[in-house]
Amino acid sequence: MKQYGMVIDLEKCIGCHACAVACKAEWDVPADQGRNWLKRLGPSNTPHGLASTYYPGLCNHCDQPACVEVCPADPVTRIFKDSVSGTQKSMEVAATWKDPFDGTVQIDKDRCLGCGACAEACPYQARYVNPDLGEDGKADKCTFCVERLAAGLEPACVQTCLAEARIFGDLNDPKSAVAKYVKNGAIKMESAAVKIGPNVRYFGNKRDIHLLQESSTPQVMPEASLRRVLLARISRPLINKTKKMSIFDLA
Amino acid sequence: MAMNLTRRKFLQSASLAAAAVPLSRVAPVQASLVKGQFAAPGSFAQTKTVTGGVCEMCFWRCQLVGKVRDNRLVKLEGNPKSIENGKSICARGNAGIQLLYDPDRLKYPLKNVGKRGAPKWKRISWEEALDESAERLQAIQKKYGPHSVALFPHGASAFYPLQYFEFTGTPNISEASFYQCRGVRDMAYMSTFGFPPGENVDMANAKAILLIGSHLGENVHVSHLKQYLKGLENGAKLIVLDPRFSAAASKADIWVAIKPGTDTAFLQAVMTRLITTGRYDKEFVAKSCTGFSELKESLTHATPEWAATICDVPKEQILEVADLLGVSLPNVSVHPGRHTTWYGTDFQRVRAQACLSAILGAYAVPGGMIRPKGMKLGTKSWGHGVFAEDCDLSTFWPFHPPGTPTDAIREATLTGKPYPIKAWVAWGQNPIQTIPDQARTIEALQKVDFVLVTDVMPMDITMYADILLPEKSYLERYDYVKTGMQWNPADKPQQFVAARMPLVEPMFERKDSVWIINELAKRMGYADKIPVKSIEEHVDIRLAEAKLSIAALKKMDGIYLQDGKSPYAPAGQRAFEFETDSGLVELYSEQTADNNFSGTPNYIATEEVPAGFARLLYGRSPVHSFSRTQNNRWLHHEMPENPLWVNDQVAGKMGLKNGDRVMLVNQDGAKSRNSTVVKVTPGIRKDAVYLAHGFGSMNPELSIGNGQGIDDQALITKFGIDPETGTTGMRTNFVKIIKDGRILEMPV
Repeated sequence: MKQYGMVIDLEKCIGCHACAVACKAEWDVPADQGRNWLKRLGPSNTPHGLASTYYPGLCNHCDQPACVEVCPADPVTRIFKDSVSGTQKSMEVAATWKDPFDGTVQIDKDRCLGCGACAEACPYQARYVNPDLGEDGKADKCTFCVERLAAGLEPACVQTCLAEARIFGDLNDPKSAVAKYVKNGAIKMESAAVKIGPNVRYFGNKRDIHLLQESSTPQVMPEASLRRVLLARISRPLINKTKKMSIFDLA
Repeated sequence: MAMNLTRRKFLQSASLAAAAVPLSRVAPVQASLVKGQFAAPGSFAQTKTVTGGVCEMCFWRCQLVGKVRDNRLVKLEGNPKSIENGKSICARGNAGIQLLYDPDRLKYPLKNVGKRGAPKWKRISWEEALDESAERLQAIQKKYGPHSVALFPHGASAFYPLQYFEFTGTPNISEASFYQCRGVRDMAYMSTFGFPPGENVDMANAKAILLIGSHLGENVHVSHLKQYLKGLENGAKLIVLDPRFSAAASKADIWVAIKPGTDTAFLQAVMTRLITTGRYDKEFVAKSCTGFSELKESLTHATPEWAATICDVPKEQILEVADLLGVSLPNVSVHPGRHTTWYGTDFQRVRAQACLSAILGAYAVPGGMIRPKGMKLGTKSWGHGVFAEDCDLSTFWPFHPPGTPTDAIREATLTGKPYPIKAWVAWGQNPIQTIPDQARTIEALQKVDFVLVTDVMPMDITMYADILLPEKSYLERYDYVKTGMQWNPADKPQQFVAARMPLVEPMFERKDSVWIINELAKRMGYADKIPVKSIEEHVDIRLAEAKLSIAALKKMDGIYLQDGKSPYAPAGQRAFEFETDSGLVELYSEQTADNNFSGTPNYIATEEVPAGFARLLYGRSPVHSFSRTQNNRWLHHEMPENPLWVNDQVAGKMGLKNGDRVMLVNQDGAKSRNSTVVKVTPGIRKDAVYLAHGFGSMNPELSIGNGQGIDDQALITKFGIDPETGTTGMRTNFVKIIKDGRILEMPV
């Protein structure tokens, strides 16, 4: 199984914001929102010296995505297919899920309720509700440009990056550039309370990484998220049970 | 049904289980692709790729392709065929479609039936706009002479208007890109090396890079930054002189937190050290330079100790910088800079940079200054203007760049001396934000008999127009032809030609500058002198010299490539001929000395910061091209205002916190119109504050950009005029911070 991931090399990044803007154009993202973003950090003192760097952020396509569990949409059985081997796998999913073959977290906007629970659940604030879609809006976020990948293209942010600071690939493939970066010390933005396996990594010198971690790594899981996960865990078995009873068939 | 559950209702609902109505449905899906009515299609789906775009969100002019769906441009990308920017473009380049479709854009010719500065617009026909403009310009030229019309141009579309107005007999043309930006650099290098350097310094292959107040990374020029990053990747040592921990400083090996205005002293001390330690390129100096002994003599007093005191930096740092440059010679990039009009003493500073490059032998070698050879293009335009005797206002400044110093034009406008200037024409330039002493610019605009402005967007200057003309944007017109070479000089030598071609059809009544000028010319009695019928003809004439045409370029995806020549001299060559009087690099410039200026680079102290004030420094943002992009909704989102950098210790004493809203007032009592947020940081000296330039437009027709952030130009009431070049130094103002209506003293 693949786990797509991205490494952002802060040694190269010059903070030009092209990634954030290219994504807006590619995916018709509302002007005041972002599937990805760039925050300018510092100059600030760090134990390793004065630092100034950037936080180019996007969906982390986490190993344990907090956003997936809280989705209240009706579960359906979804058939996934590995684009390489053709292997199929079916899973019970709500309107958002983690793909079993490439590790990306995706949204089915047609089934999304626009409730925003997932956006509130994400400690990285990588999701937003696009109010222009549907009656109540639809959740949206970075897809790792899987649609572009399928067409043989790079993710839009990677393509436009003049610094070649955004490296995309399969973290599970030890020969990939991203895996090599991880071997060389590319970090996850994780804290004691937020450990959900982000698959976007950051590479840089000590002072820049210190500044990034200190200023931007989330320190708490959103409360809404904890509450909803709990509720979801209680309700999910109930839902499954009801479904087995085939009392309702509203499809 | 669950599908009708709204966000509001969901958040109100107590039980999640109640909301989850089970559906025994199977969603058939392949891989992780999700398609559906709400999924955005992406720029690659059902689009046509249109080639031939050349960007003008800034003036580096990267080559573009457009993705067009249903006649609408949905995305811009770097042209993969480009050997310069390649597939990459910057944030501004990516945001070009938001300029194209900005609802606030100028659409029709307008006539101001209100007041200048508080306009009331009446839509008029092109016929009427051109008739009236021609009539008024002609009447002014007839009464006061052709030189009574002044032009403030900027950008590729202003070339043809510039040539036209010059042809009609006015030398009073002032380009901000020269007089408020890089003119002094070009002139100082001309008088040293005999050619303007551009930014052609081979950072990609340097062993050491010296940046003097440069905003690389904060001003994004794609191929230039690729060179810079390649150099760093290859292990070049980076030295940055800046009062601020800039984007470049954050990547530097040595950050010199130099006192503003003292760079020349620093450069002199570095040269002293190089000469006294014998670490200079003796062969290059002997074979290709003149005036070394005069230079050496001029540096007698310029010891590292002397400079350390002046520059407020440790002496050891000066030695460290000099020694690093010395061991790296000749593969050293002494960056010539771009915006170099700082203190009105800039010619001497830039001469010092040029001399430093020369004694390091950093010319025509990897890492050094290089002279890219582009392909030759043809030309056909308005003939040379014949100026009336004594109408040239620029003679006072012997090394002035092309055109006339801005201040000379404004003063003539205001005083009528030595002769009156009665019409101002702005073409793509926003003089309200480019020229220092805004109040005086506005006074001049109120005084003239006629103001004609052509632009793409409403700007500060358009508020002062009598007639306002809407121009096609760079995505809807032909005009510029770019030539150049591959971005990395060490790669296989190649040359390219790329002509700007429209990616989409123009909308409303926007026109290109050749059409506008030709129509104006017909009405001003120059019908028989019109050099080209259309912009397409103009471009084709330019291309014909290179045996190309628009049609041919279209078949080549917008870019013609051919083999080029390496910009490096054969290894070992140290003797070169330059286009100076002596044919050598002039470390001592006789021409400069003959005009009663120092023939060797000379440090001239700038005014000290008065007690209670901080020096106002300004610079660039990577997502804005000055005021031009302030209304771009995507770019505005990335940087809606310009935080004021205040030193953390200073802020602590003043009780300022990150995010506090403040205004500024300068030494002359000029106040900022708007407020901005404070950014408290150890990354700036205590004696200075810093803002990005171009914010705070006063035009209410900009529904996004109006009044956002502080317009630094409103605070630049005092400026130094460089005596050699007439360019305006603008880092000469001092400010206090206003918080909650109270003016706060800046602690020393």
